[in-house]
Amino acid sequence: MTKSTVKIAERVLRLRISQLLVNERLKKGEFKIPIHLAFGHEAIAVAIDQIMKTEDGLFLSHRNIHYNLARTRSLKEVLDEFYLRESGIAKGHLGSMNLCNPSKNVVYTSNILANNHAVSSGYALGNRIRGNNGVVFTVTGDGAIEEGCFYESMLFQKSNNLSVVTVVENNRWSLATEIGERRCEINLKKLTSGLSIDYFHLKGNDVFNYIERLSRIRTRCLKTKSPVCVEVHLNTLGYSYKKEVGNPKARYINYHAGAAAQIESLGYPLISQSSQDPIFVLQKSVSQGRLKELAKNIASEIEAEIS
Amino acid sequence: MKYVEFVNSLISRQVGEVDNLVLFGQNIMAGSCLGGLCKGLNVRPPGKVINTQNSENTLIGVGFGLMQNQVSSILFMKQQDFLLLGVDHLVNTYNIIRANEPSASFTIMPIVVDSGYEGPQSALNNFSDFCSIANIGGYCFTNKRDTETIVRRHLVAPGFRILGVSQRLMKLDVLDLAVVDSDENGNFFKYTEGDDVTIVCFNYSLPYALEIERDLRTHGKSASLFSVNTFSEFNFGSLIGDVSRTRSLLILDDSKSGNQLSDRLLSRIHEQCCRIDKQIVIRKTLNNDWFYPSLDHLNLNVHDIVQQILEQ
Repeated sequence: MTKSTVKIAERVLRLRISQLLVNERLKKGEFKIPIHLAFGHEAIAVAIDQIMKTEDGLFLSHRNIHYNLARTRSLKEVLDEFYLRESGIAKGHLGSMNLCNPSKNVVYTSNILANNHAVSSGYALGNRIRGNNGVVFTVTGDGAIEEGCFYESMLFQKSNNLSVVTVVENNRWSLATEIGERRCEINLKKLTSGLSIDYFHLKGNDVFNYIERLSRIRTRCLKTKSPVCVEVHLNTLGYSYKKEVGNPKARYINYHAGAAAQIESLGYPLISQSSQDPIFVLQKSVSQGRLKELAKNIASEIEAEIS
Repeated sequence: MKYVEFVNSLISRQVGEVDNLVLFGQNIMAGSCLGGLCKGLNVRPPGKVINTQNSENTLIGVGFGLMQNQVSSILFMKQQDFLLLGVDHLVNTYNIIRANEPSASFTIMPIVVDSGYEGPQSALNNFSDFCSIANIGGYCFTNKRDTETIVRRHLVAPGFRILGVSQRLMKLDVLDLAVVDSDENGNFFKYTEGDDVTIVCFNYSLPYALEIERDLRTHGKSASLFSVNTFSEFNFGSLIGDVSRTRSLLILDDSKSGNQLSDRLLSRIHEQCCRIDKQIVIRKTLNNDWFYPSLDHLNLNVHDIVQQILEQ
């Protein structure tokens, strides 16, 4: 186990613990604003943060807490924004769904599905005009790829040779409907192939594997001056059951926003004993005992930061 | 020189003076180059002129993205109603971007299809409606002097705005008028000073007003003639001062919107002004068939209007 392995593990743990603390406050009803947690999304967020260079830009959507925490590396600044305080990342002007932090290269965040693809395309064109050798990362979801702007933007990026990595976090859910309840399957590989855009698929929540692969993808995107699409299959951890008229059984609904009532950590910030949980996957590289020890220290640090 | 040639020459001169500028839009450098509006436009390298794909929603977002990266741009658009496809960016994206007080410029320059006959789907060419949805700055222009001021002041300047070119005026000879007064932002221009009536025209109605002003002169009467080039409320002081002196007001507004700045001027005049002896308001009458192909001109009779003014 190398120092860098431990450092990455610490970052994943920090992201999880920070979200657990936000969730506890959500359960108490402490926020006026809607907050979309991202339990289960930690590996991709840490990996992108890890491979981003100074000249890169990140464009986010309404579920952005994992990236903002990863980039900012401070729960306090994010929390203060959620409380709409002047000391927040955006002085309390943006809340959660539009939260961006240009000083940490989180250039723009939109809660309108696929809106950020168009803006990131313009930003990438600006990179070309200014001779900035950076890559633009646009994070989106399986709901947003249903929007016309997603296709329009990919077309624009390809037509203008722009270095954009579109990251589709596919959790198969949009609000209270699963993909099969709202549309046919979209084969992103074929769709992007139709535009001669390279497609990559990530799954398994192994942060180390993600860092390695995304790093290569970034280099390729920059070298070829062509957009790429990365589909990440993941699960947003958390759920609820909702009673519906005419349905004797309560319906399972995957977590969307607000407090994740069922989420509690299993002794250390593990939520699920499966590869759905990036913390569980960390155990392939770092022993459970060491992870527990690291988690304990990180939790103390964060508690001290926000107290 | 035709109106469109004049506008094109001003754009051409100005964009040639700016570094890192992007001009983009559908067919801007192909075919008629949007009826001549974009003919021969060039920018300094590494700026770019891009004939784009047909994706209005994304194109508007691209302009804001360029702005975020401190690169100025102008998006040319064949019809103002195409902006409907990008309303999300006009409202939601702009509301995020403007909070950062951007140093770059983003201008959308659509052709306002105000000649009629385009059909129901192009019926919405109401400049003020697009401006009002997110308090967007917008400017129209009708002649050499206002075009010079507005293009110089707003075409490439920090922030975002819409500058609209009238399709109805494009192939007409450009008007060359003397200006008596104006404000530095080009919100209004005063073209004549008179004692008998204050004429205030909105949107692209200046040519009608000039006809009325000329006819009044043949009757020995003089008019103060203002044209309002914006769609947001500004300091109406000069206009109200003039009306309170002449006590006679003629308003001309050739837009089809139910959201007209002329209403706000009238309301301010009645709040602040002393007695007005004569008030005539000429607007388009919207019947149930307003969105069908039909002549988009303001239906007025110059002789009758002049007679009404003379009757005071």
